[in-house]
Amino acid sequence: MGRLGYVPGGSLLHRLHPVCKLLLLIIYTGVVWTNARLSYGAGLFGILVISHWAAGLGFMGRSRRIISFSIMIFLVQTIFVRQGVPLWEFSLGRVTLAFWSGGLAAGAASVLRFLNTIGSSYLFIATTDPNLLAVALMQAGLPYRQGFMLITALRFVPLFQYELIQIRRAQMAKGIDLEGLRPRQLAAAVRHLLIPLVLSALGKVDSLAISMEGRAFGLHPQRTYRVQCPVSTADWLTLLLFPLLLYGLGRILG
Amino acid sequence: MEPIIRIEQLTFTYEGARRPALKEVDLAIWPGEFVLLTGPSGCGKSTLALCLNGVIPRDYPGSMEGKVLIGGRETTSFAPGELAGIVGLVQQDPDSQLCTLKVVDEVAFGPENLCLSPGEIDRRVRWALDAVGALHLWDREVYTLSGGEKQRVAIASVLAMQPQVLILDEPTANLDPRGAWEVIDVIDKLRREEQTTIIVIEHRLQRLLPLADRLLVMEDGTLGEGPPERPRAAYPAKPPASITKEPLLQVENLTVDWEGRRLLEDVSFKAHRGEIIAIMGDNGSGKTSLLMSLLGLIPPREGKITFAGEDITSLKAHVRARCMGLALQNPNHQLFARTNLEEAALPSRSLRPGGADEGEIRRLLGEFALPPERLPFTLSLGEKKRLILVSLLAYRPPLLLLDEPLVGQDDDRIGELLAILYGHAAAGGAVLLVCHEVALVSRFDRIFFLEEGRLVIDAPPARAWEKLCALGRREYLEGWSWDD
Repeated sequence: MGRLGYVPGGSLLHRLHPVCKLLLLIIYTGVVWTNARLSYGAGLFGILVISHWAAGLGFMGRSRRIISFSIMIFLVQTIFVRQGVPLWEFSLGRVTLAFWSGGLAAGAASVLRFLNTIGSSYLFIATTDPNLLAVALMQAGLPYRQGFMLITALRFVPLFQYELIQIRRAQMAKGIDLEGLRPRQLAAAVRHLLIPLVLSALGKVDSLAISMEGRAFGLHPQRTYRVQCPVSTADWLTLLLFPLLLYGLGRILG
Repeated sequence: MEPIIRIEQLTFTYEGARRPALKEVDLAIWPGEFVLLTGPSGCGKSTLALCLNGVIPRDYPGSMEGKVLIGGRETTSFAPGELAGIVGLVQQDPDSQLCTLKVVDEVAFGPENLCLSPGEIDRRVRWALDAVGALHLWDREVYTLSGGEKQRVAIASVLAMQPQVLILDEPTANLDPRGAWEVIDVIDKLRREEQTTIIVIEHRLQRLLPLADRLLVMEDGTLGEGPPERPRAAYPAKPPASITKEPLLQVENLTVDWEGRRLLEDVSFKAHRGEIIAIMGDNGSGKTSLLMSLLGLIPPREGKITFAGEDITSLKAHVRARCMGLALQNPNHQLFARTNLEEAALPSRSLRPGGADEGEIRRLLGEFALPPERLPFTLSLGEKKRLILVSLLAYRPPLLLLDEPLVGQDDDRIGELLAILYGHAAAGGAVLLVCHEVALVSRFDRIFFLEEGRLVIDAPPARAWEKLCALGRREYLEGWSWDD
């Protein structure tokens, strides 16, 4: 997986209504977590890989963290679940480790569950313009004040990341280094990091509130939108066919 | 004809403040007028702007006397947001007033709040972006814009409300000369073609004064008609200082990358004791990156940095800080303590042999008119910048790296700051200073000009200006004459 964020594109998944995609994600995640069968998990993973490919996105092999975390989940499950028949046993000093057939199956199922959850969330984020998602949610009935909380939060995340880097640099310029500090010094350094960040955030919120109110935000109970997000036939068909696909897959692999 | 703005005997005191921010202000502004408002930092200019768009007294606690009438109606009688279609305010920092992710959505934000039809919203967005010459930015993500582009989008987003009065609070303060001229062209176009009533709050007047109908001068909360009583003080020339032959700082082939982007490319130069060097260049050309790289805040990809004959390329920033003091462009990132005294002493504690010298720090704070016990975060921008400079001078690093230290300072303060810098150079130090004021940096020893991360000019001022003209960057010299 690449960096988390929207990846512009023109695939069918990109074109689907954002709320429709959100519903598909909820359905998919619900099925992943309510069905523990290994074969079904593998089938769902197959759908996910095909969807990534269809959306023009890379999947596995791009993120070392995902792979290492999957390996860790697998090892923990295989070591601690002692069901089925023992397959292999070895000693590390006083500790004896054994791999059981049930442990291997549980490890594989857990890894698939993890990959299916993370992968589907990534697919949703990568194919959904966050601005369009907020607009679609507001047009679907979410009060616009809440909708804009989402948009402004997304707008300010990179800004605060940048500010944090600058403040950290300012600390170093004043001769403060976080490495090798004693706990008390570290607490003071972290305080020095947080105070300017919080004050900067408050200043920006003040400025943003003046700017938004100065452009009539909150003047009317409703607002209009330049962009309309109508639900198309393709959206309805996808919403109808996707649960059927999952059901059919369950029947075949069950 | 009735004035569009009428202020009668306006006095406003912020809650908890001892003195009023505005004192018995009377003003009438007529439709289509272009008014320039100036005055020292912290004199009440921005407070007046907030009174005009109704934010004061509604959102800021305090006591208000007198009246502010917009189109004959008192601002206190408008509901929140109701003044939006009449008075538009563009604040100083465009970054903190843009609330959406894309340019087109930002400009559409206001008209959408007015419940206009999608067709009308689209028409206004096109018109506003065209008016500021930013139609090409239509689909751009806001965070990818340069400072000048953000400022233009901020203006367009207010223009799309089609306000009768447009107030711009220091619209060129954070822009390079090219960006500043772009914004001034936009203001001129609006004045000529749209007949919008415009109020611009500015420190630097020479570029805008020829366009303005009137100049208003504010001082300590009181308002008077210009021209300013005192003509601008001539900047003092740098007294001759003995410039050493051996360089204090030597940079060889410095190349710096950050997050996949090249910030500096093959930069080489020498700086000697006794020298003051100005760094110029467009926003994003690498000026700040150069200062940060010298201190080791951004690791180099290639190159060598030598300080007083010692290779410091591999030294960490907090070690290098002993010999070079950096003041960042935004002082808010550098303020950590509860009082000015504590803040000024902070670097000395870890960087000055023997720790902080409180007597010396108190003397410096007094010299820069900074009360020792005041909370640093309550200072004005100019005062904060002075406080950071005091914190550096207190531990006496031989090399000062100053990023736009003169922004937000009035002429008197600039004169004082120059005297301090000249003193530092005379005492055997050196200064690298980012600044675009040609009249001021002409007093210095050398000019560096950066273009897309490359050092393309390293020359004494007169020669540097010739080279700038040869590069086609005459905008850096506009509004300035050799007589300055």
